[in-house]
Amino acid sequence: MLAYLLMSGIATGALYAMMAIGLVLVYRSTGHINFSHGELFMFGGFIAYTFFVILGVPYFLSLILAVIGGFVLGILSDRAVYRPLIKAPPLTMVLATVGFSFFLKGIARYFWGSMEGGDYVAFPAAMDPSPIPIGSIMVFPQQLLILAGAIVFVVGFTIFFRMTRAGKMMQATSENPTAAYLSGIRVERVYTLTWGAGSAIAAAAAVLMAPMTLLSPDVGFQLLLKAFAATVLGGLGSMPGAIVGGLLVGILESLGGGYVHSGVQDVSAFIVIIIVLILRPAGIFGVRNIRDT
Amino acid sequence: MQALLARRNIVAVGIIVFAILPTFANAYIVFVANLALMYILLSVGLNMLLGYAGQLAFPNAALFGVGAYTSGLLRLEFDLPYWITLPAGAAFATLIGLAIALPALRLRGLYLALATIAFAQAALWVFGHWNSVTYGGAGFRVPPMDFSPLPIDPPTGIYYLSLIIVLVAVPLGWNIVRSRIGRAWVALRESEVAAETLGIDLTRYKAYAYVVSGLYAGTAGALFSALLGIVTPESFDLFQVIVHFCMVIVGGIGSLWGGVLGAVILVGLLEVLRTFRDLQEIAFGGLLLFTVLVVPGGAIAMIKRYLPGWNEPLRRIGKKR
Amino acid sequence: MSKLIVSDVSISFGGLKALDSVSFDVKQGEIRGIIGPNGAGKTTMLNVISGINKPDSGTITFDGTLLSGLKPNKIAAKGIGRTFQTTKLFKGMTVLENVMTGAHSQLRATPLSAAFNFPSVAKEEEEAADRAYEVLEFMRMERFADHEATLLSFGQQRLVEIARVLVGQPEVLLLDEPAVGLSVTRVSEVEELLKRIRQERGITIVMIEHVIRLVMGVCDRITVLNSGQKIADGTAEEVINNPAVERAYLGSKVDVTD
Repeated sequence: MLAYLLMSGIATGALYAMMAIGLVLVYRSTGHINFSHGELFMFGGFIAYTFFVILGVPYFLSLILAVIGGFVLGILSDRAVYRPLIKAPPLTMVLATVGFSFFLKGIARYFWGSMEGGDYVAFPAAMDPSPIPIGSIMVFPQQLLILAGAIVFVVGFTIFFRMTRAGKMMQATSENPTAAYLSGIRVERVYTLTWGAGSAIAAAAAVLMAPMTLLSPDVGFQLLLKAFAATVLGGLGSMPGAIVGGLLVGILESLGGGYVHSGVQDVSAFIVIIIVLILRPAGIFGVRNIRDT
Repeated sequence: MQALLARRNIVAVGIIVFAILPTFANAYIVFVANLALMYILLSVGLNMLLGYAGQLAFPNAALFGVGAYTSGLLRLEFDLPYWITLPAGAAFATLIGLAIALPALRLRGLYLALATIAFAQAALWVFGHWNSVTYGGAGFRVPPMDFSPLPIDPPTGIYYLSLIIVLVAVPLGWNIVRSRIGRAWVALRESEVAAETLGIDLTRYKAYAYVVSGLYAGTAGALFSALLGIVTPESFDLFQVIVHFCMVIVGGIGSLWGGVLGAVILVGLLEVLRTFRDLQEIAFGGLLLFTVLVVPGGAIAMIKRYLPGWNEPLRRIGKKR
Repeated sequence: MSKLIVSDVSISFGGLKALDSVSFDVKQGEIRGIIGPNGAGKTTMLNVISGINKPDSGTITFDGTLLSGLKPNKIAAKGIGRTFQTTKLFKGMTVLENVMTGAHSQLRATPLSAAFNFPSVAKEEEEAADRAYEVLEFMRMERFADHEATLLSFGQQRLVEIARVLVGQPEVLLLDEPAVGLSVTRVSEVEELLKRIRQERGITIVMIEHVIRLVMGVCDRITVLNSGQKIADGTAEEVINNPAVERAYLGSKVDVTD
């Protein structure tokens, strides 16, 4: 029981971590929180649904197409929404991205919402759904796929950050935008890339998750809350914190759901957020900010 | 000519129209007008928290729900009259507003947004799952208000009750923002450090903003439960948050009268799209986004530019100098 | 009689000592200058006095009462006002409303009394507006009373910020570079203004300033900070001839002509 719960907790936690990475990426480079991040996730899921279910494209190809689609959507969003407001106060950006999130949600509902009657569409299993035994525990293949996918994306991301020119520019920009600008980095481009990358990784998470659950236009907000919980737990702005935070939230709600009450899954996110923000607003890995004057 | 369109004249005409509406309009129009009155309360309350005090907080829809649940349940379970259920709903929402304010006061900016959005979701979850009290996801029906011994049918009664409350609540809010309280809110919105060094107690004035907006939202909620006659959790979900935001922003953030205007204008749009959730989301999300991007001051900013008599000083206007 | 006593104040941020046991005291009616190279800890000194930063050790006493540990709003209410290096006027308010905000501690309105427009509220609002207007006249800024404050020129905004503090009737005024970025004629106006503030209002002034001409012109005594430490303290003459001060300014003699 414990092993099984841990396994499923780690799998969902990996998804939360992927979402949280996107949020943190954007926060670190721009200082903004993207409240439409959940809807970018949801859109990625529906893009994959369109290819996989409606057009009959294979799962893995749909995954890649959704990631590309997510990246493009992120870039378009940057042009339309984020870039004009990049220097605006947080309040303005939050209002704009909240508005944008509903706009995207409405569009998704319009196109995909009533496809299968209700608001939900089923995303068929990508592979044989029957659980396989590993040692003494039963594991769903999709869980393994999620883990593998999450590891591939996180590792790929790290390599991108550390090794490539674009990645280094992103890191330089997030550490010191002015210095980056002065040394010839086109900061706006980097921001665009950042939003695009965050959106792409959210899309990947959606496609990995979809076969385990149903897909609906409202799913984005649920995941956004979990990602918020992960980032708050890990400390807003910390990349390792996001990953650890995501896994912790996943494990916590899986264990809570198994041993305490099945409703824990619904409430885990906001309980974590509220408790962490009250007790230790800087998170586990965060550093307390020096007060600005 | 333009002087005729000054705020006092427009407001006077608005009051007269609202006052005589039930004598000639059909029941549906009166219902929509009643919704508009309710949204005016929500918008004015939220504007004080978000627009004046600049607190990026999302508790409004949840407190709206607390007001609705409290008054609705008191009516349903104990058969209490409106003059008890209504203040009780408002008072309880205010109390909860204060309760969230206490932890929220330590938080600023994005952390505050995250904490209060979590609170809003928590409240929604309680509405939907505390079955023994809230009747769970399906909600409950509220027996109509009884205005006896006055010879008034419930819809008309609720309508005029709402109108009277608005006619009292908006001027009260207007008085608050035109005093040292309004100025302290704007000051802490613009610079907490500067506000503090001028002697403004940040904690106290933020708490005031939460309490006042909670009071307005709770009152609106109490009216809502009577107006609709049914209370369900989904009336208070995140979409409700965005409707409130939209009214404040489209009307004019940090402008009390702009918020009033926004509520009246947008209630029509909300109603026209009532049965199309997707179009509602596209319209309100798009409108919010569009306003923030293109006309950050909202409708009131344009009105102030072209018409005299719409400016909103943060003080009483005494003798002319 | 010492108005303000700073004794042994130290504070560090992330291991970096911003102030290292700094002590000085300011007499009633004095104009005290604080100078020093960038990063010397001057603004931090004002932040500590006004309560924005809490000192790690040391005390600040004002008229015999301990200030360190109090919240900024309490310190302000005790009669210590300050301005900022980058002006922080409130957007969305007129000049008059900005200045009225400075009278906050003298007003009594609560949400309840304001909402129901008690006679006391109407009266104090009227008085606050009068006082704000009077201060604007003192600053010769009254014609801007109804202008949107943040749309004024940079120099005018600095003056409004001083007016906003003055209306609260402080006993000590902390100014963070009141003349930064001003033209030569403007600097003379500020010089005259500071003297009038002392003479006509009896206010003690502590100011950080880089414009040496202004410091030499108005300050009775000057405290020199370098890397968080006090390296000199005295009249303009004494400070200029202090070799430690010369060294702090990278060996170049302080330019008195400016």
